[in-house]
Amino acid sequence: MPTPSRWMIKASMLYMLAGFAIGALILISKVYPEYSSVWSLLSVHIEVSIFGWIIQLTMGTAYWILPRYLKTKSRGNPRLALAMVGMLNFGILINVASYLNILPPSATIVGRLLEVGAVVLFIALHWNRAVSYNT
Amino acid sequence: MVSLLLGLAAEFNWLQFPGIVPLFWHLLMVGWITQIIFGVSVWMFPGRTREEGFKAQIWGWLTYIFLNLGLILRLIAEPATYLVTGLLWNVLIVISAVSQVVAAVTYIIELWPRIQSKEQRRRQRKKKRQKAKSEK
Repeated sequence: MPTPSRWMIKASMLYMLAGFAIGALILISKVYPEYSSVWSLLSVHIEVSIFGWIIQLTMGTAYWILPRYLKTKSRGNPRLALAMVGMLNFGILINVASYLNILPPSATIVGRLLEVGAVVLFIALHWNRAVSYNT
Repeated sequence: MVSLLLGLAAEFNWLQFPGIVPLFWHLLMVGWITQIIFGVSVWMFPGRTREEGFKAQIWGWLTYIFLNLGLILRLIAEPATYLVTGLLWNVLIVISAVSQVVAAVTYIIELWPRIQSKEQRRRQRKKKRQKAKSEK
């Protein structure tokens, strides 16, 4: 399994654990309203569960498992792949920091732009790998 | 299927019940999407045990049991908490929440060591072979 995939899949599992833990606290607060302050973490719960867990795991697995280029046997430019990993995770962390008021609310614009950039790189890296071997 | 039916029911006022929308989303994203990711990755990722049985595949089985226990308890208890008050429902909600986190932990225990490069896998296999030889 290539390095970018390993990083993405391991990071996605950590995000999943964080997402589940926050979700559990929110669920419990429904029956124990004295802990309702955890509802402020709802945006973090959604961000880490959707972008950190599901999207990241899908991207990491696709990078590993889609057919490699026939001539070079490579998965494309490895630097671009590492940039994709960095941009997605940096974007997620910026958004989380913004939701936790560590960064200003407008920081989510940067976070979302980084996520879009990561998806653009994902498309660029995989477009020609989604092929049929039939000529 | 249940999540999609709940999503459909949420569209009609006369079919709605309290808590239907979060139930719909969680049965969809956890009960279906996350569970299919769990199942397929446990099967497909390298390093799977070839042995069948509960003991040989303990972390996979625990993931399956805790995730579904958590979801089923939530499906029953969450709407109930809107309609009646009682310690029983509160306890079921807590068990549901904790079960799902436990499922996340057992899944990570199963899969984390299997996320390896080819070189790491080769070294691990070599170590295993050497260990088996020395035990003989």
